[in-house]
Amino acid sequence: MRLPRLVRTTPFRLTLLFLALFAAAAFAFLGYIYIATAGEAARAADAAISREAHSLEDVYVHRGGFTALNEAVIERSSSTRGFLYLVMDAKGDPVSGSIGKSPVGNLTRDVEWTSFGLTETDFDGAKVRRPARGMEERLPGGEILFVGADVGEAQGYVVKIVNALWGAAALVIVLGLAGGVFVARDVSRNMAAMTGVINAARMGDLGARANLRGAGDELDELAAGLNDMLERLERSIAGLRHAGDAIAHDLRSPLTRLRARMEAALIEAEAGRGDPVGALRQALDDADGVLKTFGAVLAIARLEAAANAPDQSKFDPAAVAAGVAELYEPVSEEKGLDFAAELASGLSLRGNRDFIAQAIANLLDNAVKYTPPGGAVMLRVRRRASGDVEISVTDTGPGVPEDDRERVVGRFVRLENSRNAPGVGLGLSLVAAVAHAHGGRLELDEGPGIFDGKGPGLRAALVLPAG
Amino acid sequence: MRLLIVEDDGEASEAMARGLGEAGHDCQTAENGEVGLVSARRGRFDVLIVDRMMPKLDGVAMVERLRKEGDQTPVLFLSALGEINHRVEGLRAGGDDYLVKPYAFAELIARVEALARRRETGSVQTLLRVGDLEMDLIGREVRRAGQEIDLQPREFQLLEFLMRHAGQSVTRTMLLEQVWEYHFDPQTNVIDVHISRLRSKIDKGFDHPMLQTVRGAGYRLDA
Repeated sequence: MRLPRLVRTTPFRLTLLFLALFAAAAFAFLGYIYIATAGEAARAADAAISREAHSLEDVYVHRGGFTALNEAVIERSSSTRGFLYLVMDAKGDPVSGSIGKSPVGNLTRDVEWTSFGLTETDFDGAKVRRPARGMEERLPGGEILFVGADVGEAQGYVVKIVNALWGAAALVIVLGLAGGVFVARDVSRNMAAMTGVINAARMGDLGARANLRGAGDELDELAAGLNDMLERLERSIAGLRHAGDAIAHDLRSPLTRLRARMEAALIEAEAGRGDPVGALRQALDDADGVLKTFGAVLAIARLEAAANAPDQSKFDPAAVAAGVAELYEPVSEEKGLDFAAELASGLSLRGNRDFIAQAIANLLDNAVKYTPPGGAVMLRVRRRASGDVEISVTDTGPGVPEDDRERVVGRFVRLENSRNAPGVGLGLSLVAAVAHAHGGRLELDEGPGIFDGKGPGLRAALVLPAG
Repeated sequence: MRLLIVEDDGEASEAMARGLGEAGHDCQTAENGEVGLVSARRGRFDVLIVDRMMPKLDGVAMVERLRKEGDQTPVLFLSALGEINHRVEGLRAGGDDYLVKPYAFAELIARVEALARRRETGSVQTLLRVGDLEMDLIGREVRRAGQEIDLQPREFQLLEFLMRHAGQSVTRTMLLEQVWEYHFDPQTNVIDVHISRLRSKIDKGFDHPMLQTVRGAGYRLDA
């Protein structure tokens, strides 16, 4: 059987558990009170009976034996002391007293206690049975004395306590259950909202978000965590999807070109014309180009999908920049560019050294590629006033018009005037992805301006938080 | 050279064996790590070419086991996983070099030959000599035909690598990885410029050029 939904919720179950624990504690407590009060009442009644019996015994022993006892019993029976008396001879036949027959059957021991019922007729003539207690003892002369008392008063008190206990237990259970239902419903409603969000995400709607109640409790924390997770998931899936589109888009044209070339070469070769070796060489070059693009797009997509760059370590950015500068300096010189590096020492970065090196290489690559001979390229590492580390490359090339700056960071974007330079248009995308994976950014700005009809140049800065 | 190719893709394995065979090497193939392990233990190979990801015993586990058994045959890992941590993992397992798929065939041959050579010259050398070119590794001096040549530190390293692999083709990627320790592919051919600078220092003024460009592959230093 399936329990109702509410009953299956965790808060409700927890409530039941606590209710059970609380009820057990309450019962133990009330049980203790019961024993203490009801037991005390019974003991008090027994003590009173004992005292009465002792005083009669006293009369019997010290003041004139059996006759005096009988007289005392007769006298006391008519008083309002509330005790029940019965004096019997050695054979057990009643001699005097307020009851006709001993509730104790056969007296075998010296003293015997008993609880019994006392039947009385009340004012309306109805017979009422009241609880009573008594003791019977054999006197030194062999006669038997019974002294008892109506304990109805004390017993009634105990019954009241017991009833009160039951009432309290019922109240505890009812209030507990009601509280459980209330708490379960409240928590359930919030959980259901979150489950709804998760289900929506599972069905592909990554835009779903849980509401924060603003209570700042652990449910809010959970909802915030859920939202953050969905946010990241959505971003990384969007990144992957974008990468997939980009790969499809940019690989299709070179692959088509490659295929066409091979087909043409095959037709020529079959006809015994053409240059099959040259065609194969060309095809190989094309294939290499495709693979290069593929590798670059994949690297960017992985960086974009990962929240943080992998394999991070602490290093000196100036040292990494110097290494890359040393790699590019001859190319730059070869092209007739004035190459300079200004590397501030004592800075520290935390990140993936290889990716940072590659990002610097890409920036230098672009600068060397697009700056006409006679120009200058400057690599600079410095600390910004904000504390961030800036690794920038400034050139005196044509620069990037302000309106295009955001666009060139996108994948495969190559400006019209760079069509015939080698490259696939992924350099700046990779730099931006590296910056992003390190919690930084890529800034593009105008270079030093226009001199001798050259410029205005480009200043590309990788800005990373110091580590 | 005797080579063992451990690769689960039969077609790739066959193409590799054919190409390496044409380059004059004797190839044996194994289709997974377990077979590869048995073959490697039995045969005396100069270089093992091991695919990283294979069914049954994968390449890394296979090489780890061989190394534990004391087998020091040079290993070239092939892998579609090109990230730095994968590379480090492969080298840590006992691989000597790591080549990411897809690769140019010239790259494979150059690396295999470089590995085999590394084994031959296992002893520590303090003086390298190729033809009339001499390199003193302790004094950091280079001479050609007795004439001292002044090199920048990086040029010295570059020449050292070329001299250690004299007579073999070395690719641009190998130079970038081994001399500069970069594992990315610069778009401009920066290596070519470094090579031409070095060439102008060691070959200029001599009738016989030593530093050759190998078409489609890279460079070679000849005596």
